[in-house]
Amino acid sequence: MINNVFTIKNLNLFYGKYQALHSINLDIERNKVTALIGPSGCGKSTFLRCLNRMNDLIDSCQIDGEVLYHNDNVYNKNFDVISLRTKVGMVFQKPNPFPMAIYDNIAYGPRCQGVKDKTELNKIVEKSLKNAALWEEVKDRLKDSAMSLSGGQQQRLCIARAIAMEPEVILMDEPTSALDPIATMKIEELINDLKQNYAIVIVTHSMQQAARISDNTAFFHLGELVEYDKTDIIFTTPKKVKTEEYITGRFG
Amino acid sequence: MTFRTQFEKELEELKLSLIKMGDLVIKNIHLSLHSFVEMNAELADQIIKDDKLVNQFEYDIEKECMRIILREQPVARDLRLITSVLKMITDLERIGDHASDISKLTIFMEKNNKPFLVKQVHKMADESEKMIKMALESFVNQNQTIALKVIENDDIVDDYFNEVQHIVAEAIRQSNIDADYALYLMMVTKYLERIGDHAVNIAEWVIFSIIGHHRN
Repeated sequence: MINNVFTIKNLNLFYGKYQALHSINLDIERNKVTALIGPSGCGKSTFLRCLNRMNDLIDSCQIDGEVLYHNDNVYNKNFDVISLRTKVGMVFQKPNPFPMAIYDNIAYGPRCQGVKDKTELNKIVEKSLKNAALWEEVKDRLKDSAMSLSGGQQQRLCIARAIAMEPEVILMDEPTSALDPIATMKIEELINDLKQNYAIVIVTHSMQQAARISDNTAFFHLGELVEYDKTDIIFTTPKKVKTEEYITGRFG
Repeated sequence: MTFRTQFEKELEELKLSLIKMGDLVIKNIHLSLHSFVEMNAELADQIIKDDKLVNQFEYDIEKECMRIILREQPVARDLRLITSVLKMITDLERIGDHASDISKLTIFMEKNNKPFLVKQVHKMADESEKMIKMALESFVNQNQTIALKVIENDDIVDDYFNEVQHIVAEAIRQSNIDADYALYLMMVTKYLERIGDHAVNIAEWVIFSIIGHHRN
């Protein structure tokens, strides 16, 4: 238990009358990469968004069950959502840098948190960019617009922006689907480095990517968690026929 | 319903190639024993030449497995199946070598030696051939029961081996057997015993491809 950052118990989610998640039970481990796989519409992104309450933004969304972050249910009325989103960062499918300088993209979050000291901000920016394996490429152009970076660099900038808040968990929703193979490889290597310090939960449509980078894999189908196990087991000896049929490409 | 028609076809073709390789190897064992018993150097020579075809099968199947791994990126049962094929062809190739080895002995001993026929050697060859056939059948049908039967049958081959050993030892004591022939006969018997072991290896890989781990 001590190694779990999230424990999800009996989670059900409805969009209006449509039930998108059915009784999900799953643990997210510290310092591990957890991949969520499954065909489109299976609920993996919906599940991911439950972890930092991004579904709150959808009016018709109703949730029951528990999403325990260090034993506190994030759906409790008095739970501090802002603090949750600081501790549980998110990176999206399309890189979404703010239309401002590279430096300011990273400094934005800490500034909002009240960090004003220039030296302190410099330190945070450098450390975050280094940890996101972007520092060497941008250190001489920190004042340039983030929009001038390539797609792969922008995505690493978004990861650096998430890291700047010193989160404990990073959620990634198909972070490489808009990137070319080389940029994808760099992000994958980065994910491997980042897990030394963070728990990473990644939604991916690429089963090869899940097999390459994750420690645990959860297979979702029609809103149900069909199978959750160590990635090696899922991709060599899955226990459920449905999982095997999906990963071997027999349906999907 | 499958979305991987081409991949399924490739897997079927791979199985078919393995069966063809197996058939050739079984034929070579069968004929090699004939060549030995009948001291037929011409036949032996042909088997040694045919061993190149066995080697070619191994090369082609290995290449095809590599291509499938690269192109289709198999996982789960598909990955296990292809890994098993890669291991099984090594055993089949080795069996082919043993058929060739028996044929080489035929060529060495021709003319000079007085035959001493032991019916258990034929039984051993029959049993070994049966084991290979069953091992391949268990693979094609992914049938664990047949694979387990192959492993069980290895004791029959081993028992024959011990029997032949005793018969030959007794014949030596009684001076009923030509010394060179006794050596050759024991070598043939040992090759047949090894062929049984290779059939067991194949059956074990079949079980791995079905259940995902090696049996204890």
